Amino acid sequence: MTTETSIIPAVTFLLPIVAGAPVLLWKRIDRRVQQVLPILTAALVTAMAAWMASKALGGVVLTTWNNELRVDALSALMVSVIAVIALLASVYSVRYLRLEGLIQRVGAEAAAGRTRIFYGLLLWFFGTMLWGCVTNNVVMLYVAIEATTLTSGLLVAFYWDRRALEAGYKYLMLLTIGITFALFGCVLLYAAAAATKQLSGSNALLISEVRSVAHLIPGGTAALAVAFLVIGFGTKAGIAPFHPWLPDAHAEAPTPVSALLSGVMIKMALYALARTVSIFYPSWPVVSVFLVALGVFSMVLGIVMAMTQDDLKRLLAYSSVSQMGYVLAGVGLGTYLGCYGGLFHLLNHALYKSMLFLSVGAVIHATGARRITQLGGLRHRMPVTSACFLLGTLAIAGFPPLNGFWSKLTIYLALAKAGLWWAAILAVATGFLTMAVMVRAGTRVFWGAPRAAAVAQPPVREVPALMWLPMVALAALCLLLGVYPQLAYPLLDRAAAVLATLGA
Amino acid sequence: MTAGNPSALNANLIESLSMVMVITSVAAVELRRLRFSAVAYLCQALLMVSLLVAFAAVNPALYWWAGTALLTKAVLTPWFLFRSLRGTDDRELKPVIGLGPSVIVAGLLMLGFFHLTHSQGTLLAPSGMAQLEVFRTNLAVASTVFALGLYAVLTRRDAIKTVIGLCLLENAVHLSLVSLAPELPETAVFGVATEVVVTVYLLLYVIGGVREQFGTTDTFQLRELRR
Repeated sequence: MTTETSIIPAVTFLLPIVAGAPVLLWKRIDRRVQQVLPILTAALVTAMAAWMASKALGGVVLTTWNNELRVDALSALMVSVIAVIALLASVYSVRYLRLEGLIQRVGAEAAAGRTRIFYGLLLWFFGTMLWGCVTNNVVMLYVAIEATTLTSGLLVAFYWDRRALEAGYKYLMLLTIGITFALFGCVLLYAAAAATKQLSGSNALLISEVRSVAHLIPGGTAALAVAFLVIGFGTKAGIAPFHPWLPDAHAEAPTPVSALLSGVMIKMALYALARTVSIFYPSWPVVSVFLVALGVFSMVLGIVMAMTQDDLKRLLAYSSVSQMGYVLAGVGLGTYLGCYGGLFHLLNHALYKSMLFLSVGAVIHATGARRITQLGGLRHRMPVTSACFLLGTLAIAGFPPLNGFWSKLTIYLALAKAGLWWAAILAVATGFLTMAVMVRAGTRVFWGAPRAAAVAQPPVREVPALMWLPMVALAALCLLLGVYPQLAYPLLDRAAAVLATLGA
Repeated sequence: MTAGNPSALNANLIESLSMVMVITSVAAVELRRLRFSAVAYLCQALLMVSLLVAFAAVNPALYWWAGTALLTKAVLTPWFLFRSLRGTDDRELKPVIGLGPSVIVAGLLMLGFFHLTHSQGTLLAPSGMAQLEVFRTNLAVASTVFALGLYAVLTRRDAIKTVIGLCLLENAVHLSLVSLAPELPETAVFGVATEVVVTVYLLLYVIGGVREQFGTTDTFQLRELRR
């Protein structure tokens, strides 16, 4: 493995922040510019992500500013996922965030300023998420993750009505308190690494360096650091029992933001958790059993809560809690197979959960309703949306030959191989429940008896192309990775090798 | 530790400042008029800054920390708090747990954390300096204030009061870093402190919206999403 100095990791996260500044600060910026700037930025970031991924495939680790930023295969994977979802969500926003709809909700005068804030914060939200994935500084990792909360807080409360404000308040309050525990964890990690006296000066802040002295850190301190990191980053990642903010925020945010929150933000928090906690696997393998147990608890609780939901967006949000449980169970295992399955599931979940949220957004856009009991028989009216939603439900339920099947299978096998049969059995059972919950919701909304929304006048119509194109692109990716799962292998293989520090 | 001799620290001064800081924190949590509570918070923040200055006798880098804290925690945060209270009825809504039990909780927390930091010091703060008495006291005080802040967030109904609780909690974090990681680079400390101010600003902004839409800042009224 060779290291190369490059400015690209810095450009990746600074570009969206620089692009967002004029949108937020310049009051008279044109609406077209507001819409196009995030798309353009995300496209450039996607190109840079592809370049970094190709470098990672060649076994090169990119570093910037004296190892302050560091992009290995794992970071490259995360940056690519964020960039692609961000690009598609920005395209989708153009038609979803209609000025007319907004004027109805907040009034003409506020609406113009509101879109500016939306696009500006969207750009900053991208930037802070990317920053968290490229930084190698353990305290800056905390700062970046808290920054994603701050940039997305007003996006959650965007509609400024009673529901959105409640969600926004809870989001900011709960996540800030939760993430404070992660700060303690990060600082403890740094202090413990510095106390080993093996690292000079601020090198003890660099995650890649802390790893090399992890075996010298006393057991008690390590346990405390792991507990703080799990509470802190686990809150942000929506792992049960730290998840209560998640359904509120993911359901009340404007749909493109929900897709980003559920599709990528919680994943980058899980990435931070895996990145920091995996340091301790070789010396304290018991950490991995704890993480698997937490993951299994999360997957079961999430799907049980999802069963009782009538609101489509809340249902999807609870299912995210459940799916994050799978990722944690895989990555937490610490074996190569577990990490491979976990990261593959992370990638797959980003694709189909974003698509499901965008499809529900299309339903809301066309009908104005989002409760399962108010919807039904939309199949003929919205063929593209219903096809995408159906594909998403099958993928999330783990039907072969869709992408979700392969990653879940890998996680089951990894759990069984590690001898954790109870976890494997519960994971399979959750898989069946997910199938029941998701397919039931899908059939009711798109098949089932037509209800008020489907027979309304003027008739419900399919959403514009700028909205269904991102959905179709994600659906195509799900299908592609389902039929050819080996396409993702080279990058996932190297990324899993970064995390996998336990044998067998 | 880069510089200085620990005996240069004025242990008596640090201990008295720490005690007063706990008392102002309890006051910030318990005072029913939100303006008085914000004033108590301001005093608490100033005490924290003085503590940082006192510790700076052994570690000059802490002067920078004190400066950052003064600007963000003792100037900007109280300003945002007073601004959001302007022109409103600042009587706090009745909390879930009243004064008597709260004082008992605060006392128990203090005792518990003193015991913990003195018996388990190596675990909590793995640097050599942190084993000294003043640093242990500091850690105990920071933990107590942290728990008090968390207690306020959990048991107070008024949204503004929960923000004051959050501020206490974050001040405690800042103070604890003196014992936990005294050599933390200034950029990191600055990043952490800046984010807290932005959080407080955003929370108060959202609470302003809540007051507009719900006509109150009672968090018990925030239950639209449970239906």
